[in-house]
Amino acid sequence: MATIHEEIDNWLAGDIHGELSDIERSALHTHLVECAACRKSHQETKTMNKILEETFTQEKPDPAFEQRMLSGFRSRSPQRSGLVKLLVDLMRLRAVQITAVAAILFAIVQVGRMITGENATALRGREHYLEDVQVSEVPAPASPPGQAGSLAKSDQLAAGRPKDMALRQSPPSPPATVEPAKVAQPGTSKTEAFAASPESFANAEEAGQSPVESSASPLVNRKLIRNATVELEIVRFDDAVQKITALANEERGYVSTTNSEKQANGKLRGQVVVKVLPENLDRLLQKVRSLGELKNQTLGTEDVTKAYFDTDARLKNAHVMEQRLIDMLKTKTGKVSDLLQVEKELGRVREEIEKMQGELKYWDSQVQFATVTIFLSEKDMEEPAAFLLKERTQLALYAPDVEKIYNDIKGLASPKVQITNAQLDRDYSGRVSARVSMLIAPEDSDAVVARVKGFGRVENFQVQTERIAQGGSGISENAKTKRDKVELNVTISREEQEQAFQQTSLRIRTSSVDKKAKELRNLTEKQSGRVRSSTFSRDPDGREMASVSLRVPMKNYSTLMQSLNSLGKVEDVSVQRQDRTGSQIDEASAPADISIQVYSQGNIVSSETGLIATLRRTLAQSAGAIMWSLRMIGVAIAFLAPWAVALLGAIWIVKRIRRARR
Amino acid sequence: MDASEREQYRAAIHGDREAFEMVIRVHSRTLFAIAYGILQSREEAEDVVQDSLIKAWKTRWRVRDPEKFPAWLAAIARHRAHDMFRKRRTVPLTEQMTESVEPELKDSPALDRQLHSALAGLPELHRAALTLRYFEEMDYRTIENTLGLTNGALRGILGRALASMRKQLRPTLASID
Repeated sequence: MATIHEEIDNWLAGDIHGELSDIERSALHTHLVECAACRKSHQETKTMNKILEETFTQEKPDPAFEQRMLSGFRSRSPQRSGLVKLLVDLMRLRAVQITAVAAILFAIVQVGRMITGENATALRGREHYLEDVQVSEVPAPASPPGQAGSLAKSDQLAAGRPKDMALRQSPPSPPATVEPAKVAQPGTSKTEAFAASPESFANAEEAGQSPVESSASPLVNRKLIRNATVELEIVRFDDAVQKITALANEERGYVSTTNSEKQANGKLRGQVVVKVLPENLDRLLQKVRSLGELKNQTLGTEDVTKAYFDTDARLKNAHVMEQRLIDMLKTKTGKVSDLLQVEKELGRVREEIEKMQGELKYWDSQVQFATVTIFLSEKDMEEPAAFLLKERTQLALYAPDVEKIYNDIKGLASPKVQITNAQLDRDYSGRVSARVSMLIAPEDSDAVVARVKGFGRVENFQVQTERIAQGGSGISENAKTKRDKVELNVTISREEQEQAFQQTSLRIRTSSVDKKAKELRNLTEKQSGRVRSSTFSRDPDGREMASVSLRVPMKNYSTLMQSLNSLGKVEDVSVQRQDRTGSQIDEASAPADISIQVYSQGNIVSSETGLIATLRRTLAQSAGAIMWSLRMIGVAIAFLAPWAVALLGAIWIVKRIRRARR
Repeated sequence: MDASEREQYRAAIHGDREAFEMVIRVHSRTLFAIAYGILQSREEAEDVVQDSLIKAWKTRWRVRDPEKFPAWLAAIARHRAHDMFRKRRTVPLTEQMTESVEPELKDSPALDRQLHSALAGLPELHRAALTLRYFEEMDYRTIENTLGLTNGALRGILGRALASMRKQLRPTLASID
């Protein structure tokens, strides 16, 4: 047992530790009986084990060891009090860890925002806007308190944000902002009336004009223009427009423009522009969205504050300038030309004032009302308006005289039959083919096609019909179908080029080949066939052979085949036919090709295989063999000679050396 | 491992002090055997076991599978003992001379001294395996599980360890026989 011997250490360890199986143990002991060296190791290991057991027993920990460990553990890791323990345990939960990380990130973002002062501008444009409008209404006498009230209300409603936020944004005059809101509280009921009646729109417009004065207020307010675009797919355009009008009224807005456009398939597409108070914009959008399938929606806010107040300041300057010019005119001192100059200047300033006022008014109106552009398109916009039935016919004709038929077809041309393309080709080998394309009015198409078919043998006829949707795609139940002009493409080829319907090859054995070949030609002509090619050959052994290839109409094929028996012994008849599926073919007149080999047996013994010839060949071959062996011997000598010379030389040298020693 | 044991380990991992103290009661001797095997010093081994238990309590949540808990404890004790062993070796030579590797063995009989120096010559893993076997009389499977060894590797380790010690102590062994 080589393995036990080689790994005796492992086996001995297993044995003394009682980890061997019974079989293993008996194997080990068998080996120990045989092997003296291993027996010695075994003995040593047993002693070693005993020493170790004794030594380690002394080193074992005392019975109080566990208790010491426990008390040490208790003193070094004291039990936490309830709350801390709960917190620490909680922090070990993955979900709590994630939440904590998220909270820390959020806190960092908030701190960052506070530091950079970014807290409200971009994110809360809406509140800003509301607050802004509220402020602009303050000094305007025409502005009904109800409007301010509704604004204040929407402010609370829209963001759920405490109003003090808005107040903090405008610290210079807090009473100005709060007051109208307070006044507004009792007047909230008026808001409905304000929204519904057209006069109230006029009021709103007036209110829009007043900000020229209102901007005199030192408040920092913003001028934001809100715009929205919605693209909807609806079932019926008119219904949708009605609903939008109703919704606009509901949200205190109005429809400013409507336009629509009728498509070829009767579907409507159009655009409705609604003006609505900015704070109602979101609600309106939500309602509008429910009218149909939303395709696209954009919502934009443009901040014109800077431009607005720039223009406002320039306007004030211009007013001052105007006043001074007027004063100048009133004093009326100086030359007439100077006065004229002043007049002119006054005119310019006034023009400027008007321009700026117009600009401000425009902005105010834009700020006053948000613009919602709603693009509407009816469902199945892409449905086709009509179908066009296109018919395309391919016709291949075989005729003996291509040119005649080509001219005949061209002669069919009339207002209802238009030849679009006609082409006659003759190649260098004299093959003629023609191609004519024409467009035929649908009602005449059948008659014309039938006539053209009669001009020759129809090889191929294909009709292809295509239904083309117009003004859209897909299917439509009520679209009309119209028949378009029929396109007819005719190809005319000579009969020669037509592929045979059936091909037959056979051999005829006969004694007089030339004569029979002539007879064969006569037979063919009798059966209204044509000999396409014919060859004749005779070899030196007196063998004659004639190859005749001929073509007959299918109807005469069997008669001809029978008559061939009169010419000699018919052999090796093979027939091949390729049935052309899918094309219409006139079988009776279809051509059948027959290729015939007429041949005769030659001399039994040819001059090349006679007795003398054989003898001569034998002699020549044996002479050749002798020459070949001679050559081989020469090659062998050339191959071995140098080595033989070298070997002999070596032997000679060795002998010389031996002799010299002796 | 039966269900109640696993449940106990699970509770210990989840912070049940009583369960953890139970684990200490059951496993501290095993840990001691491992530490002693590496350090050959009872005081240091006890310190190592104590430290390992504290560390295990603090980082118990790292164990995902309760079944691996005992092996994880053993690994902590082994690393800790190994760290201490290395620290001892980097003590300056003069100090080492006075402290000596096995201070308590100064007066012990010659056989003991030889035995301990032979033990010190073995790889750490072999020493730990030996002490587990001779302190706790554990069977091979349990030792393999505790030390994270593959099945059947222990017989080779103990075989080599015993053989190596046997060769070093051969003259002494002959005299005993």
